[in-house]
Amino acid sequence: MTDITESAPGPRARGGSASLRGAGLMALGIAAVLAAGFGLDGDPFLLNLAGYTCGFALFALSVNVMLGGLGEVPLGHCMFYGLGAYAPAMTMHHLGLPYEAGVVIGMVVAAALAAPIGWLTLHLTGAYFSIVSWGLSGVAMVTALNLDVTGGPLGLFGFSRLAVGPFDLSQPATYFFVAAAVLLAVLALLYHIRSSRFGRAMEAIRQGPHLARSLGIDVFRERLKALVLSAPIAALAGALSLPYTQIVTPEVMSVLRTVDALLAALIGGVGLIFGPAVGAVIFTILPQFLDLDPNVKVLVFSLLIILVMVAAPGGLHQLWKAAAARLTHARKGDAS
Amino acid sequence: MTVWAVEAEGVQKRYGGVAALKGVDLRIPEGAIHGLIGPNGAGKSTMFDILCGITKPTSGRVSVLGMDVAAVPAHQVAQGGVGRTFQRTAIFRDGSVRENLLLASFGRMRHSVLHRILRAGTWREDMAGFESRADAVLDTCGLTALADQPAASLAYGTQRRLAVAIMLMNDPKILFLDEPVAGMNDAETAEFIALVRDIARGRTIVVVEHDMAAIGALCSEVLVMVDGLPVVSDTPERALAHPDVVAAYLGTDDDD
Repeated sequence: MTDITESAPGPRARGGSASLRGAGLMALGIAAVLAAGFGLDGDPFLLNLAGYTCGFALFALSVNVMLGGLGEVPLGHCMFYGLGAYAPAMTMHHLGLPYEAGVVIGMVVAAALAAPIGWLTLHLTGAYFSIVSWGLSGVAMVTALNLDVTGGPLGLFGFSRLAVGPFDLSQPATYFFVAAAVLLAVLALLYHIRSSRFGRAMEAIRQGPHLARSLGIDVFRERLKALVLSAPIAALAGALSLPYTQIVTPEVMSVLRTVDALLAALIGGVGLIFGPAVGAVIFTILPQFLDLDPNVKVLVFSLLIILVMVAAPGGLHQLWKAAAARLTHARKGDAS
Repeated sequence: MTVWAVEAEGVQKRYGGVAALKGVDLRIPEGAIHGLIGPNGAGKSTMFDILCGITKPTSGRVSVLGMDVAAVPAHQVAQGGVGRTFQRTAIFRDGSVRENLLLASFGRMRHSVLHRILRAGTWREDMAGFESRADAVLDTCGLTALADQPAASLAYGTQRRLAVAIMLMNDPKILFLDEPVAGMNDAETAEFIALVRDIARGRTIVVVEHDMAAIGALCSEVLVMVDGLPVVSDTPERALAHPDVVAAYLGTDDDD
């Protein structure tokens, strides 16, 4: 990763212009959601898929808190996603609690679980952290497979009412708008976190843990905070997948889900707040329109990742930036 | 009465069976520019890391700014007013010079994420405080004109000045410089020496360095270490003329 400078998670010195930029991006996001929502013209399948994509984007954002934020590859993150999907399913099934309560419980449990898991694993870095994290998600998957409360290998399905307050998520349009609103809210939250003291501590740690420590940053503590922050976002993403999948099986904790999110983040750009969300959209919508076989999809996206890594290591937006820079250059050339 | 910024007594460090430090005593008065020199393998770097709290001694007593740095985690030592630069230039490579200083401002800031979201007074004070501190530090280190340049694109000597600027953001009471002029050309070295003299006002500076001209120009006193032991502590001229030091650097006749 040589030329990542321009895509560096921008701690902007001038708070004012950064806020303006943030507001502009948020407006763009809302416009995109509205355009998609009404553009899909009531097509229930596509609206459902769009809602699911928002959930997946949320998961990619959560993964990217670790990847783009700390420079770690959290292979086991699918565990928190699965936990978030199982929590409302189990509380609805066994306790008769409403969906919203299950979502909140899932997020709380994910955060509470992330703390001891982080305590154990975050002393490790790089491949060691990734492998141990993957191992723990495997444990979670086997647990879900063997418990009665999780429905074992068949999982849980047949949910009574998937709704958030007055919004009935079984309505495709409602599902999409609720999921998109949650996504935009989390984007706004992450934007503010990145430009806060905590976000800059993470960025300092990503770029140079030793230097960060010499600046008074408790490296382990900030890394732990990042995991505890990202886990409930992953759980929320898992919960938002329910209206689309209508079932939770142990498969939900498959490491392939994390890999998908990592690919989405890499395609969209790990250094950008909204990069993973854009990547997630490309990652789900493109195979749908190209009608790709799942196996072919893996091949296509693997090739795409290689291309991205070669041509634009900071994410696809770099191609756009490079093209824009070339255009301005050409124009200047004309003028002189 | 002299106030000591550094007081170390009988500092030993073993790595398995290897003794890197065999009992080092070191006292550095507050406000001094102190040198730490010696041939390769003398234990300078180990001593340096112990003083910064990165490495913990096997035995001995080490007090820096009144902190028992052997008992305190490294980041707390840093928070207590101890700054250091690294032998391999440590800057934040993804970002401009100003963004480097922003990432270095952790210790100066107090706001939480909630303060940031609400744009609360704490956050605004932090950002205003950062701006004025950054402008002052940029000016001191001669980086004002380069504030918006990508840090990775700076010349080597300039990157080393940025590394100092990063540490100055926290206004450390004592600053450890690890081979600061290594690899610099003469002009860069002269510039850097002027910078160190400038920032030495109101703080203690400890320099580990092989460049004896730089040591002579900067330091009031140096500790010469050889093979994990302190040999002599004196002014640079007298220390370098000491027969034991000459022997350590050049070898003695009966060496073979």
